[in-house]
Amino acid sequence: MSGNNKKAKLAVFKFSSCSGCQDKLIDLGENLLSLIEKVEIAYFLEASSRIDPGPYDVALIEGSVSTPHEVELVKEIRKNSRIVIAIGTCAVYGGIQSLRNWMNYQDVVKQVYPKPEWINSLEKSTPVSDHIRVDYQVSGCPVNELQLFSVLKQVLTGRRPYHRLESLCQECKRGGNVCVMVSRGIPCLGPIMVEGCGALCPSYGRGCYGCFGPMIDPKPDALARRLEEIGLPKEEVILRLRGFTGWSDPIRRFLERYERE
Amino acid sequence: MIFADQVLFRGSVYSGVEDDLKSLFNVAVSRGYRVIGPKLVNSVIRLEQLNDFNEIPYGYGDKQAPGYYRVVNNGGRFRHGPDSPKRFLYPPELLLFIIRPDLSVEYPRFEFYKTAFFGIKPCDLAAINVMDGVQGELGDEYYRKVRENLLLIVENCVEPGDTCFCATMGTGPFAFKGFDVAYTRVGSGVVIFQPGSDLGVDILSELSLRPAEDEQVDFLRNLMLDASKKARAEFTLENLPETLEMGLDSEVYRKIAERCFGCANCNMVCPTCFCFDVIDEPELDGSAKRIRIWDGCHSYSYAQVAGGHFRKSLYARYRHWVLHKFVYWIRQFGTFGCVGCGRCITWCPAGIDLRQVVRDVVKEVETRCRR
Ligand code: SF4
Ligand code: SF4
Ligand code: SF4
Ligand code: SF4
Ligand code: SF4
Repeated sequence: MSGNNKKAKLAVFKFSSCSGCQDKLIDLGENLLSLIEKVEIAYFLEASSRIDPGPYDVALIEGSVSTPHEVELVKEIRKNSRIVIAIGTCAVYGGIQSLRNWMNYQDVVKQVYPKPEWINSLEKSTPVSDHIRVDYQVSGCPVNELQLFSVLKQVLTGRRPYHRLESLCQECKRGGNVCVMVSRGIPCLGPIMVEGCGALCPSYGRGCYGCFGPMIDPKPDALARRLEEIGLPKEEVILRLRGFTGWSDPIRRFLERYERE
Repeated sequence: MIFADQVLFRGSVYSGVEDDLKSLFNVAVSRGYRVIGPKLVNSVIRLEQLNDFNEIPYGYGDKQAPGYYRVVNNGGRFRHGPDSPKRFLYPPELLLFIIRPDLSVEYPRFEFYKTAFFGIKPCDLAAINVMDGVQGELGDEYYRKVRENLLLIVENCVEPGDTCFCATMGTGPFAFKGFDVAYTRVGSGVVIFQPGSDLGVDILSELSLRPAEDEQVDFLRNLMLDASKKARAEFTLENLPETLEMGLDSEVYRKIAERCFGCANCNMVCPTCFCFDVIDEPELDGSAKRIRIWDGCHSYSYAQVAGGHFRKSLYARYRHWVLHKFVYWIRQFGTFGCVGCGRCITWCPAGIDLRQVVRDVVKEVETRCRR
């Protein structure tokens, strides 16, 4: 996208989600101003009522696909956009709402809504990449605004975005945190989750909940065994792993096996 | 093996009291050093800048085991926590340079302080010597700038911890080379001081110490010999590289890989691991920052290169870590890459014990050879 002075057209779409990831864009503050010098915000309902029908250079999609309408919409966005970036754990892995994927859909709808017959959603909440080709993904619940900004900068300057996909532990240690698992016996998913959040939870003395999703080549088997060893009951290991990104491929495949064991 | 006798009679030995430690601290401060030493922060002994001698938590102890660390207020002795001097000499994240849109290069200007490490352990002293060997004369500039102005005040270990194996690696539990001042708190308020360099002699001359009595030297020697017996692993350095090389296909690595997460905590806490990744961060104005960050051989992407990957499975990555520490390093740099500090054991969230891994591979090879 380098080489021409025309501003890139940026669109931000919301699917099934809490809007927290879009808010992170607004949280960019001064960086947002420098971004606006490079992009024209063509569609971003959270921030502006302007509706430019496209086509777009870069489309950010927040949220999972969880209604029949969203299945159609996401395809249209793909057709209408040069680069599609899924932002946030809902868009990348299905989000917290994908907890329903583990249960009977009818039961869930009945439990949640007083008039279940008014609800028209899909049985499963799925990532955007299950429906269309996605160019890049930035996970996190919510995304880390600096990581999102970094990816946008890389895309806008014509690079193929890169961020590390190694364990959260590395970021945790580089940041100078003390391991909560070793020093306090607090269960932490950091050893199999991806870096990117700045090790937020461990830096406040809590274990990682896995909201950024699995790292590259994760070892959920080994971690589950270790969590049991330090005293976390199996049911809680399962709940923790399901929690935010249990619907991601490696964790789901592991859980399907582990739950039966 | 280095024996206590050889060390003790290499230089002069002085006797003092705990107040002299405080004076030593103050001499370092008065000579313009920023002093970095052990400090109790949120129930963990960290390495931090100290403003006052009394910040050092003497009287606290710690309990360390594979994947386990707790500080205890028991009048005992603490070992090192997760931090090592590496954090200060070779920071976890370092801006290397900025390239401007006109392709000119701007280097960051860092402020370098005269730094005194106060009360670090002999294994960490040895780790600095190992890092010196890695960086050499032409190594990392940041490292050399900090290193040039280091004052090394080392506390000998009378009570090694349960993950310590410096005696096996020949690096502790007492300092024998490369330090400025070593001290030992031998009990009943008595502290024995040893200078290890001209600077150390000069600094100790500002204290009012007495030459140690013969009995004190004997007592110290016995303390050291006892401590050495504790800080051992169940293997020796004899033919270790050759033996490990014969065990490349050992089942032990495959078994360990079932428990290991590949999280690289061990690489991060290791006081000698120097591997890094380089990140380029483009800015919207057309400039770009190049940043160096700690990385380690347990990372999946570490051995990924254009066109392929030469250590895809975790057992191969774990094995590489062991082989680099105990086989390749000595050929590359003339020392082992491991100083036996045990940090990678204590701070492994999976509780994997490097000593056992090495011992088991050695045993397996020996059994095979006997057959
Ligand atoms: S606190 Fe969690 S993320 Fe940090 S090093 Fe420990 S296990 Fe890893
Ligand atoms: S490894 Fe040796 S030198 Fe290091 S703290 Fe333990 S006993 Fe002391
Ligand atoms: S040995 Fe332990 S610290 Fe090292 S990568 Fe494996 S699990 Fe992580
Ligand atoms: S390999 Fe482990 S024991 Fe050896 S120096 Fe590194 S952290 Fe210490
Ligand atoms: S053991 Fe691994 S991380 Fe450490 S220096 Fe060697 S290759 Fe690098």
